[in-house]
Amino acid sequence: MIVTFDIIILVFLVIAAIISLSVKDLLAAAMVFGIYGFLICLLWAEMGAVDVAFTEATVGAGVSTVLIVATILNTRRKSTD
Amino acid sequence: MILTILSVILIVAGLVFFFGAAVGLMRFPDFYSRMHAAGKGDTLSTLLVISGFALYQIRGIHDLSHDWPVLLVVLKLLAIVVFIYLTSPTSTSALADAGWEDGIDPVIEPGRENHLEDDCRRKKTPTAQNPEPL
Amino acid sequence: MKAKIFASIAVAITGAVLLYAVSDFPRFGDPRSPANAGVEGGSPSASLYYIENTYRDTKVPNLVTAILADYRGYDTMFETVVILTAGMSIFAILRVLRRDDAPGAPASAPDSSDHSIDGDHHRIIVATTCRIAAPLIQIFALYVVAHGHHSPGGGFQGGVMLGASFILLALSGSLRDTLVRFSEQQYLRLAFIGILIYAGFGFLPLWVGRNFLDYGALSGLLMTSGEEMARSHSMLGVEIGVAMTVMSIMFAIFANLSTRGRLHGGL
Repeated sequence: MIVTFDIIILVFLVIAAIISLSVKDLLAAAMVFGIYGFLICLLWAEMGAVDVAFTEATVGAGVSTVLIVATILNTRRKSTD
Repeated sequence: MILTILSVILIVAGLVFFFGAAVGLMRFPDFYSRMHAAGKGDTLSTLLVISGFALYQIRGIHDLSHDWPVLLVVLKLLAIVVFIYLTSPTSTSALADAGWEDGIDPVIEPGRENHLEDDCRRKKTPTAQNPEPL
Repeated sequence: MKAKIFASIAVAITGAVLLYAVSDFPRFGDPRSPANAGVEGGSPSASLYYIENTYRDTKVPNLVTAILADYRGYDTMFETVVILTAGMSIFAILRVLRRDDAPGAPASAPDSSDHSIDGDHHRIIVATTCRIAAPLIQIFALYVVAHGHHSPGGGFQGGVMLGASFILLALSGSLRDTLVRFSEQQYLRLAFIGILIYAGFGFLPLWVGRNFLDYGALSGLLMTSGEEMARSHSMLGVEIGVAMTVMSIMFAIFANLSTRGRLHGGL
């Protein structure tokens, strides 16, 4: 566990979360959400929880992004708020 | 010793290409040239860096009957190299194509616009399957 | 606008409370924290017990898998049931089971609508690479499932990767071709068979008068040299069940979401 590395990842996490909440284009928000998942995966791998990081990489960053994109393409792409 | 120097050379070369890709990503004028910088630079630099890691691991093999776990690590790194060599250019191609389908215009030198239109861009016809993006 | 202000106030208050709670946390990896040292340092805590005894009890080096699939097997079984329930609810909400579509709906014209530089070529590049990559991904996923108690991994991760390989095939080629290989009937059956495998490993020890999910009782049935190896091998069986369910449900969710439940056309 390296504290500097942790802080860098956490700062990027907050930035990614804010971007994915504030972007009007939902497809872009889904992509940023994928980045958020990868950052969380990186954080967990760096903290030593390799199993959890593996799950996050496959579920959070891989499949759920695809599912969100599939849903967006079948609904509307613009956010209303 | 030679292996160490070789691996360091490979890794540093990879980092140089990474730097080039990053600079290209920032400075190139349009989507396609940026895609070109990012795709080519990233692929080559990742290959170089991981090959450097593999060489650095080979350094630790003295007696194969004793050091075979290191050989397994080398094989895994080479498998990663092959996989990136397959998938990274494909994803670049898919991204560039998605950009073209979305109607992003490349920056063209003056006087050649019509050629491009005639050569490759077909008329967009929105269908029910691919409706016009909102 | 008003809703936004209220929402941000709520978020700020919740975040402040959470941050306040963080200050009470023990330090990272503190050996004397309640999770690691037990109550008042007296009786050994659960995590200490796992760290000291897992390898002796189960011959499994990866503690995480051993805890998930053996010590806390009941939890994991119902987590898998939760995934199955989620998939089934998406199936129940989205799936259109009528044979004929509404007259207004277009016939599924396969991909004739591209307007790219060189027609179909881009699709060929992506589809060929994905056809090459999918078996590699599946082999790695099977390795993750089978090797889950010696290295990071296990049923969930391997199952998701298997499902993702089918999703990759459906995204790069067409959903129809993928459904020929992995049809709806097959994936629905596999989802339930996975749960039944897990529950079967739970119910078998009852047969010889032991507790539910007490894998040690299976040493006679699995022909292992002792209860430890029986537990290790049962974990592998259980992980395979989990992987089957997760793989099927992931692909079912994708197929239903991307086609609005009609299972033709696709993205």
